[in-house]
Amino acid sequence: MPIQAIPMTLTQTLVMGLLQIVVVLIAVFIMVPLLTFAERKVIGYIQVRLGATRLAGGHVGITGPMNRIMWSMGKVPMLSIVRGLPIFIADALKLITKEDIIPAKADRGVFTLAPIISVMAAFGVFAAVAYYPGVMFYLPKGFPIVGGLPFQGFITDVNVGLLFILGLASVGVYGIVLGAWASNSKYPLLGGLRSAAQIVSYEVPLTLSLLVPVLLAGSLNFKEMSILLATGKGLHPLAIIPLFIGFFVYLTCGFAETNRVPFDLPEAETELVAGFHTEYSGMKFGFFYLAEYANMIVVSALATAFFLGGHYLLPFGLQRFIPETVPFLGQPSFIFFLGKVCFILFVFLWVRATLPRYRYDQLMDVAWKYLLPLTLVNLFIAALIRFAF
Amino acid sequence: MSFLRTLIPFDIAGGMKLTGRYFGKVFFSANRKKVRTEIKHFTQEYPEVAVRLQPRFRGRLTLLKDEQGEIKCVCCLACEKICPTQVITIEKGKKEGRKMPFPVRYDFEMERCIFCEFCVESCGFDSIILNHQFELAGYNREDFSLGMEGMAQNMFEPSPVGRHSVAED
Repeated sequence: MPIQAIPMTLTQTLVMGLLQIVVVLIAVFIMVPLLTFAERKVIGYIQVRLGATRLAGGHVGITGPMNRIMWSMGKVPMLSIVRGLPIFIADALKLITKEDIIPAKADRGVFTLAPIISVMAAFGVFAAVAYYPGVMFYLPKGFPIVGGLPFQGFITDVNVGLLFILGLASVGVYGIVLGAWASNSKYPLLGGLRSAAQIVSYEVPLTLSLLVPVLLAGSLNFKEMSILLATGKGLHPLAIIPLFIGFFVYLTCGFAETNRVPFDLPEAETELVAGFHTEYSGMKFGFFYLAEYANMIVVSALATAFFLGGHYLLPFGLQRFIPETVPFLGQPSFIFFLGKVCFILFVFLWVRATLPRYRYDQLMDVAWKYLLPLTLVNLFIAALIRFAF
Repeated sequence: MSFLRTLIPFDIAGGMKLTGRYFGKVFFSANRKKVRTEIKHFTQEYPEVAVRLQPRFRGRLTLLKDEQGEIKCVCCLACEKICPTQVITIEKGKKEGRKMPFPVRYDFEMERCIFCEFCVESCGFDSIILNHQFELAGYNREDFSLGMEGMAQNMFEPSPVGRHSVAED
C-alpha cells in the first residue's frame, strides 16, 4: 500500500513527530512494568506457584482495601490472573524513591552516563520501528496545530531503518561496559567484560540472520520489508525455509543480546553478585532494568516484523494464501502485531523458566561453532532462492 | 543423526513442552471457583483460605466426645505416663450413671509439649487426637495452660488465635 506524502508545514511536522514519540514512549513505559508483572506471574505458574497475588501487608492498613479487592478477584476465573497487578506501581515507586548511591572511588561522570547511554540506545531504536505501515487513525479536527492530520504507525520512515536499528542497538553495550568500568569494583568489571565479549560474539549471527529478510525483500526500509515479507508478494514459496531457520537463529541471538536467560552471564548471580549493576541503586539501576526490558520489546518487534508476518495474520509470507478481500484476517491490523509481540515476550519468560544458564565456553561455542555456520548456510540458501528461481 | 541432534534442539523443545504444560494447567485452574482438588498450584493463600494439611499433621492435643456428648477419656493415665515432657495431668473422678472413671481435671501445658503424638498412640480408647491447628501463639504464659471446659482455652474447642485461618468461602 503506497503512502503518499501529506503536505505539512515544519511546525506541524515537529509537533506530529513529538506526539508520536510521546505515544510510543508512554506505550513502552506501560509495557515494561506490565512485562515485569507478567514475568512474575508466568514463572510462578510454570513453577506451580501463583506468583504475585497481593501487596505487602494484610487486610489492614493502607494496602488493606486493595488486598480485599484482589482477594475477591481471586474467585473470578479470568480476573484471578491479573490480581497482584498494583504491584508494578509499588515496584516503580520503590525504584524512584530509593537512595541513589555512588561509590566513593567510582568515576562519577561515567557512572552517571552509563545508564543514560543504555536507555537512550534502547529507546532510540523505537524511532525506526514501524508498528503499522500506514495511517493508524486521523487526529480530530479540533486538535491544535495538527488537527485532521493522519497519525502514522511509525515515527520516522528511514530508508536504511534496519541498519539504524542494528547500529543503535549495539551502542547499548557501551552502557553496560562503561557502567561496569566506572563502578571500580571487580564483580561489575567481570560482568561488563563478559557482556562485551558475549554481545560482540552474538552480533555476528544476529546480523547475518537478519540479512536473510533483507536479501529476500531487497530493501533495508523497515516498513517496506515488513509489508513485503508478510504479504509474500514477489517471494518464492521456498523462501519459507531460510525465514524459518533464520527466525530461530535470530531469536537465540536476541536472547543473548538482551542478556536474558539462558545467556545472562553478565549478571550471573551465583558467580558475579549481580554483574555489571552490582554498584548501582535507585533509578540508575532502574534505567538498566528499563533498557533490558525495552530491548526485549525491540527484539520481539523485529522478530515479528521480519519473520512472523508483522501486522498480517500468518507468519513467514504465508499470508499470500489468504486473499486481501477477506474482511478481518486478510487485512493488516495493529492487533496482529501486538499479539505476536506479546507472544514472543511470553516465549522470553517461558525460556527463562525452563533453561539453565550456559557455561561461558558453551556460550562462545554456541555462537561461533553452531550459529555462525548455520546462519551462513542459511544465507546461502536464501541467496539461491532469491536469484536462482 | 548426531549432527542433526546438535543442530535441532530436541532437548530444549522437550523442556519447553514440559514447562508449557505446567503453565497451562496452573493458568486455567488458578482461581478458587474450582473444587479444591482441581487446583494444580502448590502454594497456599494462607490467611484467606484454610491451609490444606497432610492427615498426619500433629497440631494441638484435643479431647474427644462420643455421640452422647460424653467425654471418651476413662482416666487410664496411659498418656500421662508416656508423655516425655510430662505436660498432661489427669485427676480421676466419678459421675452419676457412668461406669468408667471420669476426668475431673485434664491439664495440658502446651508450652512444654513437643507434639510427639505418643499420648495419642498410647491411648487405648481413641479419646484424644492431635488436631490440625498450627496457629498456637499466645500473648501470655497462661494462654498455654489448657484445661477442661470453662476456661478461656479448653481441650475441646480450637484455639481462638487461629480464627484467621478459617476460610471465607
